[in-house]
Parts: sequence; structure tokens; C-alpha cells
Amino acid sequence: MDEKPLKKLSRRDMLKLSGTFFGGALLAGCAPATEAPAPVVQPTEKPAEPTAAPVTEAPVAKPVSGHVVVMHLLHEFTEDHVAAFQEANPDITVEVVDGQDATRFFAMYAAGSPPDVYRLQAPSIPGLLARKLLLDLTPYFEASQLIDIADLAPANDYYKAESPLEIGTGKIYGMCKDFSPDCTVFANTAHFEKAGLPAPDDTKTMSYTEIMDAAKKLTVFEGERMVQYGYGYDAAWIDRFWMNILAETGGSLYAAGYEKINLTGSEDAKAVAKWFYDLAVEQVTPSPKNPSPAGWFGNDFVGATASMAQYGFWFSAMAIGDANKDAVVMLPGPTWTGERRDPTVTATGAIMTSATQVPDAAWKVFEYYHAGQPSIERAGSGWGVPALKSQWSLIPQGTDFQKQAYKVLQGELELNTPPLQFNPFIGETVVSNAWNLYLDQALSGTITFDEMLTNIENDTNIAIKEGIDRIIP
Amino acid sequence: METGVTTKQLEQNESGKRTLTRNQRRTFTFYLFVSPWLIGFVLLGVFPLLVGLLTSFTNYDGLNLATVKFVGLGNYARAFEDPDVSFSLVRTILWGLANLPLWLVLSFLLALILNQDVKGRGLFRTIFYLPSLIPITAAVTAWRIILEKNFGMFNASISLFTPEPVAIGWLSDYSLPGMTSISIWGGLGIGMVIFLAGLQGIPEELKEAAQIDGANSWQVFRHVTLPLMTPVIFFQLVLGLIGSFQQLNLPLLVTKVGIAASSVPPRPIYLYMIHTYQQIFTNGRYGYGTALLWMLFIGILILTWIVFWSEKYWVYSGASERDN
Repeated sequence: MDEKPLKKLSRRDMLKLSGTFFGGALLAGCAPATEAPAPVVQPTEKPAEPTAAPVTEAPVAKPVSGHVVVMHLLHEFTEDHVAAFQEANPDITVEVVDGQDATRFFAMYAAGSPPDVYRLQAPSIPGLLARKLLLDLTPYFEASQLIDIADLAPANDYYKAESPLEIGTGKIYGMCKDFSPDCTVFANTAHFEKAGLPAPDDTKTMSYTEIMDAAKKLTVFEGERMVQYGYGYDAAWIDRFWMNILAETGGSLYAAGYEKINLTGSEDAKAVAKWFYDLAVEQVTPSPKNPSPAGWFGNDFVGATASMAQYGFWFSAMAIGDANKDAVVMLPGPTWTGERRDPTVTATGAIMTSATQVPDAAWKVFEYYHAGQPSIERAGSGWGVPALKSQWSLIPQGTDFQKQAYKVLQGELELNTPPLQFNPFIGETVVSNAWNLYLDQALSGTITFDEMLTNIENDTNIAIKEGIDRIIP
Repeated sequence: METGVTTKQLEQNESGKRTLTRNQRRTFTFYLFVSPWLIGFVLLGVFPLLVGLLTSFTNYDGLNLATVKFVGLGNYARAFEDPDVSFSLVRTILWGLANLPLWLVLSFLLALILNQDVKGRGLFRTIFYLPSLIPITAAVTAWRIILEKNFGMFNASISLFTPEPVAIGWLSDYSLPGMTSISIWGGLGIGMVIFLAGLQGIPEELKEAAQIDGANSWQVFRHVTLPLMTPVIFFQLVLGLIGSFQQLNLPLLVTKVGIAASSVPPRPIYLYMIHTYQQIFTNGRYGYGTALLWMLFIGILILTWIVFWSEKYWVYSGASERDN
């Protein structure tokens, strides 16, 4: 026999092997988090120019077939929806990739196979348009038997653009699944009564100063323990609120051309940021120092720990729980100057990607989801205002609260607030992340309020500059 | 071992057909069996690593394939000017210093206790190992309920003994000790199991011999058990060291605020990997982020090398003595 006896591993050998193994594992940690191809790969798209967009040929009336990949939330675009669609369109198969995950979308795009239909929010649109990732759907909308362009609710203007810096009119790149004017405020009337405050009046618009005063009075401490706080808002949207409030003053969060954010150089911007900062300092809202007890201020409101919650109409579908039953009203969005505005700041919907190989089939899916049975189901659920005006009559008004919320909603919709122009050069969480990062330090006393603003401004401006360099060669 | 296939090495069987020698068949079989792992390692390990390395020299942001630029060592130089890199590195070292020794000592102590011949030790081993089986997301959610500042059970318990209710920010102001507690609770079981395996590998004769020589329990532990356990301690130390520097999930989960996509962990647990995560996924700086990862890799490699170098001074190795 020429077999050699196997050498028995000593402890030292074992340790070396272990070291090698964990060294390998460590190395693996240095790989990029997504399976993106090497950046030297030749691009499949032409270099992006912020004013150009892909041209879509008019759809041809012919049998449509293909495999359509949709990146969407599975609890919204359900298996039942897919089955119903495929039954009606046997030549089209639909694959739903779960999530509204930008990283996954990037990875799929980089791999050369982006989803055909992608769920997103309005702030992403200018950036994706600047990179020429959106397909112009205007011909499809014009030829659609299901969607009448005149029936599109104004919030769909977020999906119209002449260019990345001219959102609101022009070619149509997608549409909302539903929307809400997002500045409305839900209030717990029992808390107001207990604090000795007048009952909130849904015919009157509160100012932000009044909101702050009420929030302070509604906040209750027992010893060090905060048992009730006055006001909750979504800090992930803080720049969107700033943009909206500054629009009331006639100003803008960004300088012309969107090449810089302007916080320290604008007294209005500083005052707006200070208002939100004071909410945290006064401990009347969740902050990095005093996080939301339930993990989310929406749940705090439902659990009667929060007295006011700034959310859109969609929240009316879940605002009432056992703890705040019969004590919830929806109030008009507050105002800074008296020039009322109440835009949707999310306009959640979908687009079709310019790289789609099956545009006609993808459009059939897109059209079905946004104007077919799924849209009718959504309209009747009360989770937001339907994207088609013809479906507004389906909004539930069975209970007193639903009627009250619907009445306030009508007033907000009548404001006809034009869409916010988001910055195409940065991701949608750049500003809010900087806010959270530096707010923590400011509340700890390691930096001042002014230094906090300077830091947010510097970080954002660096990100904008990088974005410009990446988008415009 | 011969591995090359030459005409001379081929044998002919009875039917005149050429066949491989036994040695070559063994070699072939070896490579056949390791090839699935090897192919997987190259495609899923080496290739992404090279992509990561290339990415670290560019301004890649996840979407700009058309405009990606080579920036040389710019991303690496940037790290030295980024104050949050040094800050997060210090926080990571503090986290490691808080977590690693405590985890090692406690899991070793637990293993020593559960290595005793006591009734129901199997049950206790199972109970102590259970936290390691719970998915980290579920575990952190439960801990958040316990450590919550205003309504948490832990502060409520403390408040029973104070004149006024207290609200200690275990996951904000004191997030480092708070996170350390969660980490140790979750990691104790796996640490204990590995130490137990080591303890059970120690020959009873050695302990008995020491006892016959008059050693008491402490002396047996000090001069027999502990030296024989040093290879396991060494192994756990290397493992824990690497894990400490790669910690990402815990601070993210501890801080996750509702549906907000932009939660940033509080400063005490703003670890190096969190900063890297922020760069890649918030700011789209894939190039800079991968450069930070490579710098971390080199740092851990140096630390691991130091630990390996120190091995000869404190890790018992029976093999080396036998070799002598």
C-alpha cells in the first residue's frame, strides 16, 4: 500500500487552521455588501444628463407577453393580485421581489437586471431621472383604457417632469399608489382636556408656535419619567417638512440649482430648524436622548402616550386604539406664516425602469396595480387617498371619526399644494441622517445649535457635490 | 505526494485500458470533493473581495456605472481626515474592552460551574444556551422593552427603591453598557459550550494526580485546568476580537426607531462599522465605505497577528513539549 497515514492534528495545527478560517471570514467582511460588479464594467446606459430622458415608443396594440419583475411590498402587491393578473393575462408572468429596498435595486441595476416596475417615494424621482433610469410612460398613459390622465390626482405631479429640476409638469414617469397631504395632525382630545387646553378645533389651523405651546402643556413627567409627550413627527422626513415650511416663507432649503443646502445663511431656515430642535430640547417629542417608548411615535399615539402625531390621512386607518378610543380628531396641517400648504411628502407609487426589456408587459402590470382591482381595494381600505380622483368616493366614511377626517381631508386637498422639488443629487435620507447624528451631539452639549446646523450643512453640501460629480461627468 | 499525470504513471488494466494509479485517484478524489467549496469560495469570496478592493479606489455610488472614476488612494486618505472615523474607532475599542473580557470570564465561569457533577446540569446547560438560539432581532426587541427609558421594566424595578421614578437611558445615554449586557446575555451560551467542550477534554488523571500530590481545588484549577484551557481561551479571544470589530447589527437594532429609515445609533455606540454602514447605505459612498472596510481588515489582521505572536508566552501546547 502506498497510502500515507493521516497526520493527527495537534492543538497547534487546529489553532492555525482556526486562524486561517476566521481570517478568511474576516476577509469576506471586506467585500462590498451588495453583489455589485466591478466598477470598470462598461456601462449599459449612456452617461446621465440631468435634462435628458429616454424616449418611449408609443405602445402597439398587439398581444403582450413576457416575464415582469416587480419590486414591491408583498403585503401590498399580494400573491392574490399576481394570480388574478396572470389569470387575466396568461401570456405574462409576474415575479414580485419583496421590498422597497434601494440597495437591492442598486445591486439589481448594477448586475444589468433591474426590476421592470419599482415601488418608491417621490424624493427618489429626481435622482433616478437624472441618471436616466426612468422610462417615459406618457405614451402608455395616453393610450390607456384604464387610466384617464385627467383623472390623476394632483399628487401624481411628483411623477411628472420636464427635467430632474423641474418636477410637476411634463412627461409622466409613474404614478402614486395612493397619497395623503402629510402635514395634518392627529390629536388626542382627552389629553387636551386633561391639560386644561381648549378642545382642538378642526376648522382652525394651528400655527407652529401654538403647536409648541400645546406640546409643552401636554407633556407629563413623573419624576424623571416621561409618561406622556406632546408631539410626534417623522424625523426621517425632517428636510421635507423644512422644505414645505420654507416654501410658506417664499424661501427654499436649497440654493438655486440645488448645488447647496442653505441652513446657516438663511434666518428663516435657522428659525425652522430651531423649532424642531426646541421640540427635542423641551423633551416634548422623541429624540436620540429620549427615544419613542413604543419604538415609533405612531404607536405611541395609538397607545395614548403621544398627544399629537403629525401624519397624513392614511394614519386615520390606524390612529384609534383601545387607549385613545373616542378621543381622536384629525386637524389641518399647521402653518408657519399663515400661507397654508399641505403637500404629500411621500407620494408613494411606482415607476418603470428604462432598462426594461418588456415595457408593454410591464405596463400591463403597472396599469393593473394602479387602476385595476388592487387600486379599488386600497381605496376602500382608508389607507390613504386614491391616486385616481374617480375612486375618492370609495374612501370609507362609516364612522364619526372617518367622517371628521374626511371633512378635514377635503380642506387640505383644496389647498392644491404643488409638489416639492427634491434634490436630485443626494439620497433621500442624507439630511435626516445628518440631523439625527448631530442632534444627539447638540443635546449632549458637545456642540452648539449653530455648530449642529453648520455640520449638517457641510455634510449635505459634500454629498451634493459628490452627487453632481457622479451624475454629470 | 505525486499529483501530475504522465504516461509513465498510467497503468494498464487487463483490458488494456489506461487507468490512474491509486495515488492519482486519491488526488483526483480529493480535488473532486473540495471543488464545490473551492469554486464557491472563489466565486463568492475571492471575486467579491477583488471587486471590493477595486471599488475602494473609485467614487462608485451604486448607480454611477457610467460615470465611475478612479480616485486612487483618495478614499483611504479621506479616512484619516474624517473625524468620525477616529471617533467610531475609539468607541469600537471601548466596546471591545467592555464586552470581550466580560464575555470570556463569564462564559468560562459558567462552563466551570456547569462542568461540575451536579443534578440537573443538563437542564441548566440547555437553559443557559437558549439565548444563543433566539434570533438577534427578537432578542433585541425583548431587551428594548426591558431597558426602555420611560416604561421599561428595568427602570421600573429600580424605581421601586427610589423616592421618585427614574428614567435611565440604557439605550441612549448609557447605550454602551446597555448593549454590552444584551451582547453578553446572547453570547454567553455559545461561549459556555465551547469552554465546556474544552473542559471535558482535560484528562481526569491529571487532576487526580495533582490532588494526590496535595493540591487543593484552587491549585488544581490554577495549575492544571487553566493552563490546559489556554488554547480554548486563545481561540475564543481571536473569535471575540474579530467579532467585536465587526459589530454592526446590535447598534442598529438597539437604535431602530419605528419605521424611520434614518435612525443613527447614539454616540456611545457609534461604532466603526456603523460609520461605514452610514457611508455606504446613506450617502452612497461605496468606494469610501469599502476603503474603510479594507482598513478595518488590515487593523484586525495586525491585532490578530499580535495575539498569535503572544501565543507562545501564555498558551499551553502539549505538542511543542512532545516535539522537544
